[in-house]
Amino acid sequence: MPLGSVVLAFVVGAVIVAVTGGNPFGAYGALICGGFGIACNGENPALQVSNTIVFIIPLITTGVAVALPFRANLFNIGAEGQLIAGSIACTAIGIKFSGLPTPILLPMVLVGGMVAGALWAGVAGVLKATVGAHEVVTTIMMNYIAQWLLRYLIIGGPLQLGPGTSKSQPIGPGARLATILPADNSLIIFGLPASVYRVHTGLLIAIAAAAVFAFLLWRTSLGYEIRAVGQSQKAARYAGVSVRRTIIVTMLIAGAFSGLAGAVQIAGVDHNLTDKYFSDTTGFDAIAVALLGLGSGVGIVLAAILFGALHAGGQVMQADAGISSNLVLILQALILFSIAANFVGAIRQRIPGLAGRPTAMPPELPPSAPLMSEAAEPPPA
Amino acid sequence: MGHKRYRFLGVVAALMVLATACGGSTPSTTTKQYKIGLVTDIGGLNDQSFNHLAYVGLEKAKQDFGIKDDVTESKSGDDYVPNLTHYASLNYDLVIGVGFLMAEAVGTVSGQFPSVHFAIIDGAGTDSKGNDLKHANVESLFFKEQDAGAMVGVIAGWLEKNGKAKKNQHIIGAVGGISIPPVDHYIAGYRWAAKMEDPQINVLVGYSNDFTDSAKCKTVAQSQVQQGADILFQVAGGCGQGVLQEGTQGGVYSIGVDADQKTADPSVIASALKKVDVATYTAIKNVVNGQFAGGALTFEIKNGGAGYAIDNLTVPPELKTELDKIQGQIQSGALVPPSDKTW
Repeated sequence: MPLGSVVLAFVVGAVIVAVTGGNPFGAYGALICGGFGIACNGENPALQVSNTIVFIIPLITTGVAVALPFRANLFNIGAEGQLIAGSIACTAIGIKFSGLPTPILLPMVLVGGMVAGALWAGVAGVLKATVGAHEVVTTIMMNYIAQWLLRYLIIGGPLQLGPGTSKSQPIGPGARLATILPADNSLIIFGLPASVYRVHTGLLIAIAAAAVFAFLLWRTSLGYEIRAVGQSQKAARYAGVSVRRTIIVTMLIAGAFSGLAGAVQIAGVDHNLTDKYFSDTTGFDAIAVALLGLGSGVGIVLAAILFGALHAGGQVMQADAGISSNLVLILQALILFSIAANFVGAIRQRIPGLAGRPTAMPPELPPSAPLMSEAAEPPPA
Repeated sequence: MGHKRYRFLGVVAALMVLATACGGSTPSTTTKQYKIGLVTDIGGLNDQSFNHLAYVGLEKAKQDFGIKDDVTESKSGDDYVPNLTHYASLNYDLVIGVGFLMAEAVGTVSGQFPSVHFAIIDGAGTDSKGNDLKHANVESLFFKEQDAGAMVGVIAGWLEKNGKAKKNQHIIGAVGGISIPPVDHYIAGYRWAAKMEDPQINVLVGYSNDFTDSAKCKTVAQSQVQQGADILFQVAGGCGQGVLQEGTQGGVYSIGVDADQKTADPSVIASALKKVDVATYTAIKNVVNGQFAGGALTFEIKNGGAGYAIDNLTVPPELKTELDKIQGQIQSGALVPPSDKTW
């Protein structure tokens, strides 16, 4: 079904390009070149692949952070705030202890980011578990708090680089994730200076995060409890699962993933906090990635690859084919739309009395989640 | 969830733009065709400000010099480095970055491609601490914002002094985005000129700490109106739309910034102009004429790179005389508007 949605989106997108006087083949050619480094016409394929992977890395980790709570029937809209909390913690530690060597400092900043993200999400988890405050509302509010905290910290606050700037000091060299190729301007690899390839070792961390997610969900008792709570809180409680504890733990783990995404972004790419995080949307794109990936580890990685490639490719498409990169936003919206539409159709089949055997569908889409408390099969591997 | 919502609004807007616009194609006939790549900041081409003006300059250069021009609109701060790298890796003759926010990205990429020329509006190629790396292949296009700020300051001060404003309590306001040098230069010139015209005047200065969200600027503007200000100068990019709107809603005058913002709101009486189109065109011309030089190029009233526009206001002849006099004195160097933040 997700594949069908993607194909449908691209077909409709091609019609839009053609109707508005553009050349869909030129547009998609440049999009594919920019996204995957294939079918390029003069552009450096290695550079395109490298740029795409840099976009994919945070999408995987935040995608996991949205997908895990989905399983417990929790809608984590706060991945963005948790990501910012993680990036703040990473930067603060990376500046404060900038003299420490990599083997000590790098784990410190990454764990620091995870803890900060976990605390940020944990607030929503505790509120949900104790007073029943809806996590959608609380995580949205926590997003705003994170963004304003960041604003304060780098504009006039303690992390500001200097008067008149809106960024922080750079983190110490020991807090940085290495790039996979040496960051050397004079070394030529694939025809360009090696430093243009920004792919960093955070890629391994992101893949590990997806693997941990899949293992946790399907191979541990905690994962079983998360799924049980997601299917029916009453049944879970009857079976002896502590619903409150599970909700809190789920949010803590999700926040840790998001916080890790923020820390990896600072340690691997940016090396300082900048005002770009005011308008960052990674944590919101993550919702789409989690939905498209059907909440499975492999699916999230594939969805992140698609969205990362669309992001990177959209920019190249505008440069090379003159088609506005806003087309990419249209494609993303169409993909989500057709997933949601199919989903509604699937739900209808499940209304008691009409129900046949349900086809595989993601038990994650939150607004409808209460309607489908029984649907909890493992996702297609 | 705000951002997601805007994103979908953006999709709708994009559909409308796509529905009306046509895909352009560039004819290529000349022998040596210069290739110019323009990378906008996250404001996009329709910001009615810097990015738009840079594009205007690019289009003019295309007509005059027959260049091949390509544009990329950055969707997020993550896009600056890859977008600049894209053009540099294709050996473009000039890669232009629009805006202060891209300084570090230009610093990084210009170091990787020493044989490619770069120009950056409002900034230099810097390292992560904001120090100018002084790469020989980077031309920094700076503006004396204080020149333009001073001209609109003359208008505001003159109106207050002569009782031609709305409340005439000798209080005017300025709403900055983030306190960065270009913003503060504008406000410095504005304060200086207003005080020169009307020594009694009190200039309120506030910052929204944002360049995009108009609600944040509106809040600052409202508080200034409550304190009696009746002329508001917005120096906050897209955020400043909120200041202009507060002009009408609060019953006061407003002043636009960077581009001519006459149509943004009926309350806009004038705009302080930073002629990014002139700067962009000049940078391209320099490359085409083989006169590209690294370092700073400054655009000011003297060379036609800064100025002002009269908008929804009928200018009394005395004010026009005063404006011409001050502009002449700034041009000749007899008056030098200050750029320091002294508030």
